[in-house]
Parts: sequence; structure tokens; C-alpha cells
Amino acid sequence: MLSRRDFLKGVSLLPLARLVPLPAWERAAQAATETFAFFTAHQAAVVREATARIIPGPLDDPLEMGHPGAREANVTRFIDVLLSALDHHPEHIYAGGPYGTGAGQFVALSTQQRRAWETRIAALKKAYRDGVVVLDSIAGGDFSTASALDKDQFLLDDRAAGFLEILYTHAIEGTYSDPVYGGNTNRSGWTEIKFPGPSMPRGYTRAEVSASDGPDVIDPTGVVAQVLQVLGDQ
Amino acid sequence: MSSRAIVIGSGAGGSTAAMVLAEGGWDVLIVEKGRNYFGDLRSPTPATAFSNDELKSSASRYFEDPDVDLEPRSFRRTASEANRVVGNVNHLPSTVGGGTTHWDAKTPRFWDIDFKKLSLLGPMPNASVTDWPFSYGEIAPFYDEIESLIGVQGDVNLLPTSPTRAHAPRTKQLPMPPGAPQYSSVRLAGGAQTLGLHPFPVPMAITSQPYQGRPACNDCGFCSHYGCPIHARVGALAPLRRAVIAGAEVRPETFASRVVWSGRRATGVVLVDNTGASHTEPADLVVMAGSTIETIRLALLSRLPNPHDQIGRHLMFHWFTAGFGVYLTERIHAYRGRSTSHAVDDFADPEYPAAKLAAAAAGLPYVRGGVLELGGSQDPIAEASYYRFILSTALSGVKPFGTPLKQLMRASILRDRLAGIEMISEDMPQATNTVDLDPAVKDYRGVPVARITYAPHQHEIVSQTTFIPLLTALIKASGADVGFAIPEVSSDLYPVAAGDVPDGKHIMGGMRMGTDPATSVTDAIGRVHGLDNVVVSDGSVFPTSGSHNPTLTIMATALRNARQWVGLRTAAAHDVLAVTGRDDHGAVAAAAIAGSAAIALRRLKS
Repeated sequence: MLSRRDFLKGVSLLPLARLVPLPAWERAAQAATETFAFFTAHQAAVVREATARIIPGPLDDPLEMGHPGAREANVTRFIDVLLSALDHHPEHIYAGGPYGTGAGQFVALSTQQRRAWETRIAALKKAYRDGVVVLDSIAGGDFSTASALDKDQFLLDDRAAGFLEILYTHAIEGTYSDPVYGGNTNRSGWTEIKFPGPSMPRGYTRAEVSASDGPDVIDPTGVVAQVLQVLGDQ
Repeated sequence: MSSRAIVIGSGAGGSTAAMVLAEGGWDVLIVEKGRNYFGDLRSPTPATAFSNDELKSSASRYFEDPDVDLEPRSFRRTASEANRVVGNVNHLPSTVGGGTTHWDAKTPRFWDIDFKKLSLLGPMPNASVTDWPFSYGEIAPFYDEIESLIGVQGDVNLLPTSPTRAHAPRTKQLPMPPGAPQYSSVRLAGGAQTLGLHPFPVPMAITSQPYQGRPACNDCGFCSHYGCPIHARVGALAPLRRAVIAGAEVRPETFASRVVWSGRRATGVVLVDNTGASHTEPADLVVMAGSTIETIRLALLSRLPNPHDQIGRHLMFHWFTAGFGVYLTERIHAYRGRSTSHAVDDFADPEYPAAKLAAAAAGLPYVRGGVLELGGSQDPIAEASYYRFILSTALSGVKPFGTPLKQLMRASILRDRLAGIEMISEDMPQATNTVDLDPAVKDYRGVPVARITYAPHQHEIVSQTTFIPLLTALIKASGADVGFAIPEVSSDLYPVAAGDVPDGKHIMGGMRMGTDPATSVTDAIGRVHGLDNVVVSDGSVFPTSGSHNPTLTIMATALRNARQWVGLRTAAAHDVLAVTGRDDHGAVAAAAIAGSAAIALRRLKS
């Protein structure tokens, strides 16, 4: 049985997977248009390139043509909003209700919540500062300019295991959470997976709740087949 | 001068008690350790900070849940092992409204056999099965009253004659008809019918039409584990509203750290505000309603009378089993609707043929599964996290992130193509399943946290082994291409499960009601043995767990008991009599008469 690492080595022989990093001018353009409250330009670049490996988009993987990922959702912005959430009043931790979002309205933290989040975010800030250093160290230079395959290898390095946990969690949250938190730009994460997002105040009609939407046949190949196999074996 | 009651906890049980006491003329203070996300509680539709927001509602953000970094709990399976977990152990929301701010609001009733389990079904080896101090017949009118109060939809004529109506007879139609059947639930209900089971629209505390100032539910889909943005679904907020209208004060961000008592009476409660400042608030009646685990913790912190070492014992969780149906040719869209709309009761019946066979084979007097909730799913962040888990652990030769994750999200086998089942199985009471104070772990205030020691009884495992194949068969019969069922919590027999710590949110026992102080903590009306004015009003008073969602029964029990506490004000006379040196037989008689009057009044009203 192949290990994950062996698999990646095998993949690296395929010409299709020989991805090049973003052209320098494109990286410069991104850096110029984005300013961050917490991240330095370099930290942002490393976080952007790392999370784009976790949830890739069209610029990251030829299999994702037409399918936006963490880069397009601006997960880096989501993480920066979280890390700087306590700099705002009200803090940018909990969006308000009842219909939520887009208005930039947040719920002020209670004394107790503020205490917990101060500790938690301080730890996260340290994890991001240190994590970027670790990835650069594993890369022997600037992680963000490495090739796609190298970046995958670096992320799977044991020394990056703790940071990968955090990046993975935030890549998921930043891609699939409400845009009010800074990610999921233009609802790209939801559109990609046919999730409609909040339905209030309209909700759904009786027919929408009760009736079939009609046939929609899955493509049961690749990893989908493997997961179905695993689930079916339970 | 009115008597002062302090109600500790603003959830289902506390709010119900507060309503009865405030409307009965008591001066009521409700303290809630969490914060308040609602506006004017006198309104049927107060402003709310809840919304269709998965991130805010997720377990990692602690919006309505206690923050585990500040208030952890510890967990171990047996008293002889070290803590397995310090963190989230079946945490319920800690906020005004308690668990009902984000409950699934399914409101089946417990059955006649649940209240007289020992008498009707006999003893279970190595379990502390007992009778409740009242019968189904006695609590039935209180069920009716709570169903009207919180606004339950459903149709009693669609409940199966057997087993549901045979074991939980009804004399009244529910206040509102069932809402739209949910497609995912209907698909699984079809599978259930194929197996000869009896699915039905499950009663739930969600409006299907405008009701007492609240709008009809619009099936927004963000239901279980989300706060309702429009109050189509309430729970505690309905009685809390009446309590506040009757003059009760709700004081959030206030932690009760100790009940102050001496002799047979409590005199007050030590309250800690959000700055850490504490004072003793005087009380003529103390109502403990912080939900099972926190109520036990407070009882132990207060060193309440415990001559028979009963406080915290017989802790029960429901024993959950999860079924997954995956449909490869269509999307099931369980993101629309009220989490689930249908249920099946057959597996809760100890007379179900497979259950009888399993009991005979295992040498047990009986075996029960529980109610099945048909048709639930999950939202994208939870879905992606699940794929991440699978990719990182179960598959070899696949990159644990990247395009594999994206492909799974697009296929959505565990969200849009998923129709899930939860089986909520009876959990046998055992003296060895306990809550006590952790000797080492403290909350951020420096107060010892609750330590949970819990392992399932043989009955639960036999039941699970019996019903897992039936759940899978039901799912397959519904037309699902892949169907399987797994335990929600690992055990010695099933080391692989969805989780290692019980997290079903149905938490009962530990302050069990009974008539014998040697085997119970509270008396037949939920009053702590040995104290005249300390009562309990949450699921901790349950002597047995039943096979159905507990909140309706928590509220009905609270209503029944609180009606009898209204008369406890006369116990104030008890002190006067004691001071003047007279014997207290007269006061006891007066209290008994007042209690009888309260019961008579209740009968007149119902």
C-alpha cells in the first residue's frame, strides 16, 4: 500500500501535475491590491499559497478549471479578519442577527467571551508567525514561490503538521462561511458546491421542501468512488 | 410581602418553574451564567442575534455554548481510569433560553412504561431501574399544557395507534397541523414503510401557522443547532416570556457558585457577576435548573445533604446511533426544512420482535432501541471537516487535501445527497455513571468543574447491535445507494464511532426523584431530601431516561412540580413557628394543605 508521501512522489512524474508558481507580476499585483491588518505582505503570500494548496482553484490545479478555491474565496482575508477581530468594536467574531450578514454588523463580546478570545487569538497569531517561518524553513527559502508539488510536500512535512491543522481548519471556514467574515468572496465557495447559503427571510416553499429536485447523477469516479467504498464497508 | 425565589438557569426547566412561581405571586430572580442574545423578553418575537450562520453556530466558536477554554469538563469511562478528555463533554448552550435556543424541538412524549419501568418491565441486572413518583396518566395534562404553551405542530391522528398512542394516549389534538414534509424524511419514511414500520410526522415545537404572536416557520433549513431568527421555534422563551410579564427578573452573566443553607433551609445563593464580584442573594426558595450536569455540580459545591451518596449517581445520556443514506442519482436537499419532519417509534417498543429476540439471546429482561429521527444532514463546514477526517485517516494513496477535497465537496455525498437517521436509545441508569467534582480541573473562576464518569450498560450495546443492521436495511429500502449505521460514541464493543465522548445533549439523572431518600436525591415533587426549600427543575430529576427526546418531559415535569412549589411560601411560616418554639406539625400541615390547594387549583384550570 502506498503511503501518502509515495503517492505524491508518483504524481510528480506526471507532466500534467508539473505546475508552475504564479508569475511574479501576478503575485506583485495581488500584494499591491491587498493590505492586511495583521499579516505582513510575505506572511499573507505564504498563507495564500498554502491554503490554495489545501482548497485549490483554477490557478492552482488544472483539474480545478472553472472551480474557485481558497484563493478566489480570499481565505487569507478571512484569516486576517479573525486574527484582527478584537481590534474592532464590536469585535468581528460573531455576525449579528436575525438575517445576518453583509451589513458588517457584529455582536459585541461579553466580558467572559472577550477573555477567552484574547487568549485564543494571541495563540493563533503566534501560530501563524511561527508557521510561516517553519514553512519557509522547510522550503529552504520563500515557501510562496515554490512549485505546487513542492508546496504539497512541504505542507506534509512533519515539522509543519501543527500549522497544517490550523491552515486546514481556516481554509475550510474561510471558503464555506458567510462572506461577512471576510472569505467566501462573492459566495464563490457556496456556488461551487451548489449550497445556497442563508435563506432568511424568504425560506423555502412547501414544494421546495417536499418535492424532489429531479435527477442529478453523481460522477462516481476517483476519490468519490474510494470514499463510497469506505462508507459502504461500514 | 412576597416571597423571593431564585431560579438558577433560564432553560426549559428553569423558565417553566419561573413562570409558575412568578404567576403564583413569587418575587422571582432568574440567574443565567451565560449571556442574553435576545431583546425584550416580554415580546413573542424579541430581537435576536441568532441567524443562518454556520460558522457562528459551530462548536469552535462558542457563541451560545460554554467556552471550553474557560469552562471545561472532564470525562472518563470508569472510576479506575484517568480523565480521557478535558474539554467539551456534552456541553449544552449557556445562554438565556438554555438548550432550547438551538434545540431540534422534537417533542415526543415519554411512554407509560417509562414512568413505571420497574413495575411494568421488572428489574434490569446491574442497573438501577426504578419507577417515577408519578404515572403517565398524571403527567398527561401537563404535556397538553406545555404543548399549547410552546406551540407544537403535529397531528395526533397520524401518530401510530401502536406503539405510540397505546403507550402515550392523547385526549387533545395538537395546536397546529404538521408543516411541510421534508423530502429527505419522506424518502426514509418510505424505506421504513417497506420494512413494515410506522413512520409519522413527528410533533415538534415549531409553528406551522401564526401562533400567539409568532410567525409560521418558513422552513429556512438552519434549524437544529441554530438559533431561530423569527421565533417560529421557541422553547424556554415561551414560559420565560410569561415569567417576565409576571414580574420576574432575568439576570444574565451571573454564576451561582453555592446554595447557602443550614438545618433544613436554604437562605440564599452566592452569585458571581461578570466582573468576578460575588455576594449572597437572599432567597425563600432556591430552584436549581442549570441542566443536569451543572445542577449536580452546584449541589456538590454547596455540599447539599447527601447521607446516602446519591447526588450525581444514575447519570444518563441517551445512547445514539447514526445512520447514513447516500443517494447517487439525486440531491436530497435536507438543507431545506426543519432538520427532520418524520420519526419512527417501533424500535422504542420492547415488544418489537427483533428486540424480544435480542433480549432472549442476551439473557436480558427486555431490549429497547429508541425513536428514529429521519432525514437530517449537515452544512458545508461540517461536511468539509468530515471529508478532511476521511482523507487524513481512512484513505491511503490519496493526498489529504487539494482536489480530492474539492471533488468530494462537489459530489456532496455527505451533505446534499445525505439523508441521516438518529436513533435515540434508552440509557439504563447505573449507580456507577456519575457526575462529581474534578479534583484537579477548575474553571476560569477557580471553581472545580464537573467530572463525568460514564460507560454504557450491556443493554445499550445489545440494543445497538440489534438495530444497526435494521437501520441499514431501512436506509437501503429507501432507495439509498449506500447505507450504513455507526454508534455515535465509541465503547468497548465498538471502538470505532463518530466520537469518543457522549455529545447527544440529552442529559438526565443524578438528582433523581423518588420517595425513598436512600435511593433518590429529590422527593416526589423534586424537592431535595432534607431541605424544605431547595428544589430541582431540570432533567437531573429523571429516574429513567426513556427512549425519546427529553425536553418536553423536562418542561411537563417542571410544570407539575412547580405548581406544588407555589405553596411552599407557607414554609416561611415554618421558621416563625420554629423561632417561637412551637412544634412544627402545624406548619407541615399548613404546607400540605397549601400543596393540596395548589393541586386542586391546577386540576380546575386544566
